[in-house]
Amino acid sequence: MKKSILALSLAVLGLSSANAADPAKINWAKVPTVKVALFYPGQSTFEWLRSEDHKGASREVKRGDACVSCHDEQDAEKDIGNKIVKGGRLEPMPIPGKSGYKELRVQAAYDAANAYLRFQWHTDNPFPGTEHQYLRFDGKEWKVWGYPKLDKPVHEGRQPAIYEDRMSVMIDDGKVGGFDKQGCWLTCHDGQRDSRNQFTKEEVAANALLTAIKKGDVRKYLPDTRTDPSDWKTGKSVEEIAKLKAAGYFVDLIQWRAHRSYPVGMADDGYVLEWRLGDAGKEMFGGNADSKTHEPKFMWDEKKVGYKSITALHLRKGDHFLINGQNAVPFDPSAGWKEGDMIPDYVLNRQAAQGSAADNGAIASWKDGVWTVVIIRPLSLTNDDDKSLKEGGVYNVGFAVHDDNITTRGHQVSFNKTLGLGVKKSTKVDLNAVKLP
Amino acid sequence: MYRIATGKQIAIQILIPMAMALSGLASSVHAADAVDADAANALAKRNDCFKCHAIDKTKKGPSYKKIAAKYKGKPEGEDKAIKNMTTGPKVKLEDGTEEEHKVIDTKDPNELKNLAQWILSR
Repeated sequence: MKKSILALSLAVLGLSSANAADPAKINWAKVPTVKVALFYPGQSTFEWLRSEDHKGASREVKRGDACVSCHDEQDAEKDIGNKIVKGGRLEPMPIPGKSGYKELRVQAAYDAANAYLRFQWHTDNPFPGTEHQYLRFDGKEWKVWGYPKLDKPVHEGRQPAIYEDRMSVMIDDGKVGGFDKQGCWLTCHDGQRDSRNQFTKEEVAANALLTAIKKGDVRKYLPDTRTDPSDWKTGKSVEEIAKLKAAGYFVDLIQWRAHRSYPVGMADDGYVLEWRLGDAGKEMFGGNADSKTHEPKFMWDEKKVGYKSITALHLRKGDHFLINGQNAVPFDPSAGWKEGDMIPDYVLNRQAAQGSAADNGAIASWKDGVWTVVIIRPLSLTNDDDKSLKEGGVYNVGFAVHDDNITTRGHQVSFNKTLGLGVKKSTKVDLNAVKLP
Repeated sequence: MYRIATGKQIAIQILIPMAMALSGLASSVHAADAVDADAANALAKRNDCFKCHAIDKTKKGPSYKKIAAKYKGKPEGEDKAIKNMTTGPKVKLEDGTEEEHKVIDTKDPNELKNLAQWILSR
């Protein structure tokens, strides 16, 4: 399966262009590796960091000081993460076995067509998190089966923890004030899913901005999209937010997803402004449940893969991706379904992915407990929802890993880092992408 | 006029400065031995001292080298450092503002003395 995925990715990405390297053939041994410390942040939100609970630092954070102006001592990330992950004021629901710290090995290269970001890390689980939630037939109807670890059904033992691994990259080109100092923490707020003081449905329904943009929950946002940056309810008007976007006030968010983008050789492309939004166009995955009947829209093509569904006994045995154009056929409601039959809740379609949402390619492999992911980002994008990477440019970046069937705050994150694309030695950056021959 | 040194003279010329150097080294080793650096480091780390102080960099508070230089040759340095760590007085920060100094989580005089001496020997 992995070989076929790779072959597909190279073909569909158009990487056979004379200007672009084949990411599978880049000699990474010649590209410097930077070890980036990732740590578990728990609920250390924008608001918590500015509160008196952030002892001795609230004034400094409000002033705009960098996180590393204090947290720069040896093993700072390791100490913070290992402390928070055990539970306490910033983690009300500690996850058994969760790592407080991870070493992310990062390499960066570029050519005339693309930037190539290579990431390697040890996963918490002894298996790759390539599965995502399923639709399961209970004898009468199809219901979602499998949830991320922080969700109630998993905590109460009613559902298994099933959620894809992810590698996320946030990029700022200097237009988001403060991102160079406080990085991803500008986007992480009270009220969000699994955060402190999580929203209620009633609050969301009564909120003018979220109603206007047709969203049913609270997700990452940047401070200037609110009249009070510390209160998600104080959204500015859609027109004011459009002006912020036009001025470049947003961060790019690239997410490589082990179930919903990896099988088709891609990473998704989104951005954070007033919410965590997808880029214009169509992404590579979509829901497989019919909105009215909640039956699957597609099932596996038995002629090609030997089965039309799986059961819980098949979990973590093989690659359970449902891909339009490869192994999916329209769902047949009269195919003799039995209790326990399962079909993926998401269906992938590389050919249908279009526009700015389909910019990013990726190849990946998991071996001996280590994910190796190469994200391929075209240079000089001109879409109004992308940060355009160019030779000689310097960018603020943040990295995050989710890898033990978890989402939202259940990640390990980095402090802000700087990425240069072939910048001169006199320009100080954490990572300097190497120009490929 | 040049004079050729005898073997004995060469030995004296080499060995005396070497002995002096070794004696100085021994004395500085002895001074360092008096401080348990690992224990001081662990105590400072446990109490988040390094969030505000670095060895040789100005952070929210002065560097330990700066503190050591300030109290060099002044016997009151150790008492002053211990007082700051145990009574939480208002201290002037590097940005000109004032804040109460954090109170450390030990009252053991030996631990406090060791940490103070470690800071003052930076």
